[in-house]
Amino acid sequence: MTTDTASPHIDVAPPRGWRTWFTQENLITTVVGIIVAVAVFLPLIALVINSFLVLDDLGFDTEWGLQNYREVFQGRVIRKALVNTALISTGCTILATLLGVSLAWVNARTNCPFREQLEPFNLIPFFLSPFVGAIAWHNLASPKVGLLNNMAKSIFGISFPLFNVNNLWGVIWVTGIFFAPLVYLFVVGSLRRMDPSLEDSARTTGAGLLRTTMTITLPLVTPAILSGAIIVFVTTAGEFGVPFKLSAPFGWETLTTQIFTKAVGDDANHYLGAAMSMVVGVVTAFFIWIQHRIIAPRAYTTVTGKGFRPNLIDLGGWKWLAFGYNVFYVCVAVILPIICLLFVSLHKIWSGSVIWSELTFWNYQKVLFFWWPESIDAATNGIINSFILAFGGASIAMVLAIIVSYMIHRTKGFGSKMLDFLSVIPIGFPGIVLAMGVLVTYIKTPIYATLWILLLGYITRFFPYGQRNISSIMMAVSEELDQSSRMAGASWLTTLRRITIPLLKPGIFAGWILLFVIFLRELSISIILYSVGTETLSVGVYYLSNFENEPMTAALSIAQTVALLICVVIFRKVAGKEALTA
Amino acid sequence: MTDNNYLQVDYLVKYFGDDRAVDGISFGIPEGKFLTLLGPSGCGKTTTLMCIAGLHKPDAGEIRIGADPVTSMEKSINIAPEKRNIGMVFQSYAIWPHMDVTQNVAYPLEIRNMAQSEIDDRVAEALKIVGLTDMADKNATQLSGGQQQRAALARAMVFRPRLLLFDEPLSNLDLKLREQMRVELKRIQHEIGITSIYVTHDQAEALVMSDEIIVMSKGNIEQSGGPHAIYARPVNKFVSDFIGVANLTEGRIVGNGGAGTGTIEIAQGGEDVQLPCLLADGLAEGDDAYLSVRPENVNASRKPVDGPRIEGEVIQSVFLGNCLDCRVKWGEFEWKVLAHSRERLRVGEKVYVSLDPDHTLAVKP
Amino acid sequence: MSFVEITKLVKSFGPEVAVAGIDLSVEQGEFVTLLGPSGCGKTTTLRCIAGLEHPDSGDIQIEGDYVTSATNDVFLTPEERNLGMVFQSYAVWPHMTVFDNVAYGLRIRRETRAAIKEKTTKALNLVGLGHLAERYATKLSGGQRQRVALARAIVYNPKVVLFDEPLSNLDAKLREQMRIELTRLQHDVGITSIYVTHDQTEALVMSDRVVVMDKGVIQQIGDPETIYAEPTNAFVANFIGVANLMEGKLLGHDGELTEIEIPLGDGSAPIRLRATGAEGAPVDAKIILSIRPEDILLHLEKPADASNLIEGEVIDTVYLGNFLDCQVQVGPHEVGVQIDHFEELDLGQKVYLSFTPDHGLCLTE
Repeated sequence: MTTDTASPHIDVAPPRGWRTWFTQENLITTVVGIIVAVAVFLPLIALVINSFLVLDDLGFDTEWGLQNYREVFQGRVIRKALVNTALISTGCTILATLLGVSLAWVNARTNCPFREQLEPFNLIPFFLSPFVGAIAWHNLASPKVGLLNNMAKSIFGISFPLFNVNNLWGVIWVTGIFFAPLVYLFVVGSLRRMDPSLEDSARTTGAGLLRTTMTITLPLVTPAILSGAIIVFVTTAGEFGVPFKLSAPFGWETLTTQIFTKAVGDDANHYLGAAMSMVVGVVTAFFIWIQHRIIAPRAYTTVTGKGFRPNLIDLGGWKWLAFGYNVFYVCVAVILPIICLLFVSLHKIWSGSVIWSELTFWNYQKVLFFWWPESIDAATNGIINSFILAFGGASIAMVLAIIVSYMIHRTKGFGSKMLDFLSVIPIGFPGIVLAMGVLVTYIKTPIYATLWILLLGYITRFFPYGQRNISSIMMAVSEELDQSSRMAGASWLTTLRRITIPLLKPGIFAGWILLFVIFLRELSISIILYSVGTETLSVGVYYLSNFENEPMTAALSIAQTVALLICVVIFRKVAGKEALTA
Repeated sequence: MTDNNYLQVDYLVKYFGDDRAVDGISFGIPEGKFLTLLGPSGCGKTTTLMCIAGLHKPDAGEIRIGADPVTSMEKSINIAPEKRNIGMVFQSYAIWPHMDVTQNVAYPLEIRNMAQSEIDDRVAEALKIVGLTDMADKNATQLSGGQQQRAALARAMVFRPRLLLFDEPLSNLDLKLREQMRVELKRIQHEIGITSIYVTHDQAEALVMSDEIIVMSKGNIEQSGGPHAIYARPVNKFVSDFIGVANLTEGRIVGNGGAGTGTIEIAQGGEDVQLPCLLADGLAEGDDAYLSVRPENVNASRKPVDGPRIEGEVIQSVFLGNCLDCRVKWGEFEWKVLAHSRERLRVGEKVYVSLDPDHTLAVKP
Repeated sequence: MSFVEITKLVKSFGPEVAVAGIDLSVEQGEFVTLLGPSGCGKTTTLRCIAGLEHPDSGDIQIEGDYVTSATNDVFLTPEERNLGMVFQSYAVWPHMTVFDNVAYGLRIRRETRAAIKEKTTKALNLVGLGHLAERYATKLSGGQRQRVALARAIVYNPKVVLFDEPLSNLDAKLREQMRIELTRLQHDVGITSIYVTHDQTEALVMSDRVVVMDKGVIQQIGDPETIYAEPTNAFVANFIGVANLMEGKLLGHDGELTEIEIPLGDGSAPIRLRATGAEGAPVDAKIILSIRPEDILLHLEKPADASNLIEGEVIDTVYLGNFLDCQVQVGPHEVGVQIDHFEELDLGQKVYLSFTPDHGLCLTE
């Protein structure tokens, strides 16, 4: 054989194949991979280091030691907060799981009337701010100013407060109803996608309806229930707003409220804060690891055969009870809180009952009219900053998400595995913990006290959510769609621009809006990283609640809620009805 | 390995981890021909195709199209897939769902910055060849599987590539459509005359479509040749077994009659039977070999026949409509016999098995 | 009264009538297959028998008892019918071991521990999975899962076993093997079986009787040989196996044979042929001639005996190894011919086709 070696492309013969590495995709994905790795690891490393630095009595110098951890487990206040956190997380998990599973079952598997109309309402709490929920329930059911208590007094003549949410039970109640949709989402998809012949075969084998439900249906969705429950447990452990509003002022501190006091204010001790964050982070990361490595892989892949429609159970007359139950949930989680906030926000002073003659839009002017000299800066700044952060953050995070997903699913080797791992880590750490890490990492850099540090915190913590939206589509979209573009003569970047991204468009939109929503209501990262001038919407609500009055707080809360509800509507339009539940 | 081969692959090696997926294979194909890489999953056929496409980077070897090396690991050349000017049709069709049929087919031409008028002409021509003219404005998602595959073919050939690669393009279609598309694909390839390489695990597909077949196993080439040669004269047990159905049993060459004929002795049920046969290249007297004979060349009759006596009992007779799929038990061995359905052989009947010497082969183990 | 008796069964989904009033009897121990294209109502019929669908009208009796009766207002739930069912997606419960899957039906029937152990083990041995009893279902291959599903359906000795395309998710080789195995098992156990499939080979191989359905109506019921050799209409002829169908008219009867004329379109004289069938039809009646490709002989030269001869031109050949499929243009018709040896045929070559009158069947609509 005579090979033609006089090809014009070759002049020298470099060592084997190294030149073939430098391609568009290798360069771009490597750079992005390094950026993500630094963004995720740096705060965590800083957190570990700082947690072992002990502040001396004068508060100037530090030395290495375990004193911070001793303080967490032995100090009177913090140890009690630790116990409270455990109690709240456990209670909330139980409540949210009971609510989520029962509602999912009613919606996916029974002939409950109007279930298709009810479903979007069941999911609304998922998009709203639990902090605002806590404010609303504070105004509904606190012993002195609670609307429900006052109504009970005036209508039924009950003189003692019927409800009291200013304790651990209140926190469990509010977090429970707000996190129930998390369990609902895990379970309802699993119930709907289940191959109906799994149940049909139990029926033909001789098992009745109840027995089939107990021995086949429920065990098959158990992994989904456990996944949902763990996510709720972890989310509650990192929840700051609800205990801060409802229980902390009444002596029921949690670890998150304690971290907050160590991060800002007179009593600041970043090193102790870091140690507390480590404790929360280790626990939550461990649970997330369990969920990822042990429970999620056991989810039964439900292959669908033909004639696929889930079996519906005819509840007979009981279906109205199921309907009533679902409506009750929507009332306590969505309708009552919003109505209550609306009433409160229309009063100049709130005393626990509606005074029709004194309704006014005064509070809205104070918190929304940023051009008006008498407006409150913390609130108006918060609105502007939050929209900037939500818009910019969601956009940057989605760009990262696209490239990271591409690396995970379309490349092989170390980088791919590494990024897959990296994009799980932030989910394991509550916002307040990660924010503590970001704070101690960047406090001495110029980005501290700017919007940039908030942006960095937001993106680091939440880009995995966007990445999951993209990944689920990318897994469903054949790699051959990309490859055929390369074969057609398009370069990697052209393929990304003309084929990959257009194909991912629904996922990109859905992910973007989801992140926009999350950033618009974000509290626990913002509360650690904000400073005067860089308040966000939720920080504004916090500020009003702490330093102004309830009506103004309610007004800004309503403004935030309206913005979020608009996003929900857009999300359903763009992503389709089943984006979350299927 | 000759210079008149349009595509030439030399000593191609590709590892996946420690697994040598392609084990230093070489082959070539003249311009305009249709070559099929055939083998079970994991035999390295798709990996070979991906290396030719440039979607996989081989660990060693050279790939040349015309006079240009597109991959030469020794010279550190590995041209990006988009610069190779190769058309490819994928298993999943890979029709872009966010574009209509015309946009899909026009895409490669747009990438090449062609004038709009020429794009329109070429797209119309390509759609006409694959019979999708009426579907030009349809969205990809509105097409059936067969139509999507036609669109994929139009897209792969519209820019007149140097090579067309097919990666199991018909395996997602149902049986009837698959049979129809085989014939259609073959016709189109003849019409446009682009050198084609086709990967499949379906031996019927390979027989129907190819000018040349390369049978692969474990990263190596087992046999290459035309469809009739591969089916009628397999050289070894693997090929005989993989292509079509064969009666295969161990034996030994006991005679050489010259001109490729000989005698093979097989032993079953305490009897030694010597059968006249055709010898595969390289087999000599005394060698261990396998007897290979296709079920349609085995005759089972109720009356004794001349020649070597093989007497057995029908243990299975399955009615397939146009034929009867029978098993005849002879010692430990079960003869697969394809009989005419009007013969109505019944289970339990005693029959005499005879083989046609012109279709009785001795192949390498 | 048969073992399973279906009368005037009707089931609609919205405006779409899935089953349009069918009558069917199945004897005890019989293996009956419902065969038809997708959407023909076969699966709906099966699900009505199982009690998974509620029919609009009609009765179903099993062993003389009504399980569904619109007239008597009876509807037993699936679990009250004592049937076994095997599903297309296997539906093996992934959260249980193989043993627990199979034992489930026995536990529901409150059998003793010892009986459960014994019967389950026996059923697992019967399907060849005795050694995998403690394995989780998720760790099994498709073929193994289907065996578990089968064991689970027969272990409690149900009155009837229903099969809903159980083999369609398996690959071709495994499917062929499972067909034979399932038939053998059904014969050994002797359980009454109703089997749904769209695969005609499966139906021919496995059934005692085949029920061909289309558009919610039964087209023909018969044993496999009859269905294949004597289809009653063009749908059955073409759905079971391959048939060349040509329209023509009846000229007259000559003893057992039928004389017919097939027009070849403008400018060509019609051909006159002798075939069978259409006994009662009057002269000039419209008929459809059906001939199987394997029943046609192809001649390169005009044979001496010129009766039943058709002239044509080769338009396509497909080599399939064990035979050559050849398409011959005869006037407006493309006639498929199956040749059982390899023959070099050129496109456009003139050939002669003949068939014995026994093999041509006249169908009247």
